[in-house]
Amino acid sequence: MQKKFWRCYVCNDIHWGVKPPDLCPTCRVKSAYIETPSREARTILDQPLADGPDFSRDDFRRAIETFARDNEFRVNPDPVKVESLLDGLFANEENHGLKYCPCRLRTKEFEEDIKIICPCHFPAHETYKGQEQGECWCGLFIKR
Amino acid sequence: MLRKIMFHGRECPHCKAMMPLVEKLIQETGIAVERLEVWHDEKNADLMRSFRPAIAAKCGGQLRVPTFIDPDASDVMCGEVPYETLKAWAER
Repeated sequence: MQKKFWRCYVCNDIHWGVKPPDLCPTCRVKSAYIETPSREARTILDQPLADGPDFSRDDFRRAIETFARDNEFRVNPDPVKVESLLDGLFANEENHGLKYCPCRLRTKEFEEDIKIICPCHFPAHETYKGQEQGECWCGLFIKR
Repeated sequence: MLRKIMFHGRECPHCKAMMPLVEKLIQETGIAVERLEVWHDEKNADLMRSFRPAIAAKCGGQLRVPTFIDPDASDVMCGEVPYETLKAWAER
């Protein structure tokens, strides 16, 4: 069983293990962990961590589907929109170091910018919270 | 002549959806809308960051795209909106 890095999308806690915690020990949110590349874990923790497994675009696609499966939201069923967003996320990782949301600009302040790594804590945003057909700002995740 | 800026991201679907509406606005009203991409052009990104207090106040505390701004009045609107909303904002 291969260990991987997992990131809490609410508070950015990082977990190294075979499985994600059911409950985030820091923010106490359930099903909050998504598989994350080692590069992202290193940057968030600012520590020289072990290499995790390679993390391709297909891996990310699989990770967001797995992450959404146990939550009240799903990945947008519009493949054109999703692929455009993945283009942006991977371009941002290549050019700026992390998978920043393509629909928001980083401020260059680290504590602010880790809040827009995809997936972000979008259920707290006004485009999702209290909305019948809520979605994250970019539209990658939509309420079921 | 009225001058506005649209900050957008190349891969942002909402920005793509707004582009034809912005074209229509320019053709119908003559309002000049400068379209500046911010994820692949650091100069444009820095310009957007320079408006951060005005943009964040209207855009959930963040630098979201698409954002429309009147740089003289720091008047801001962000997000994907219907054409009439865009036009009403641009003409006020």
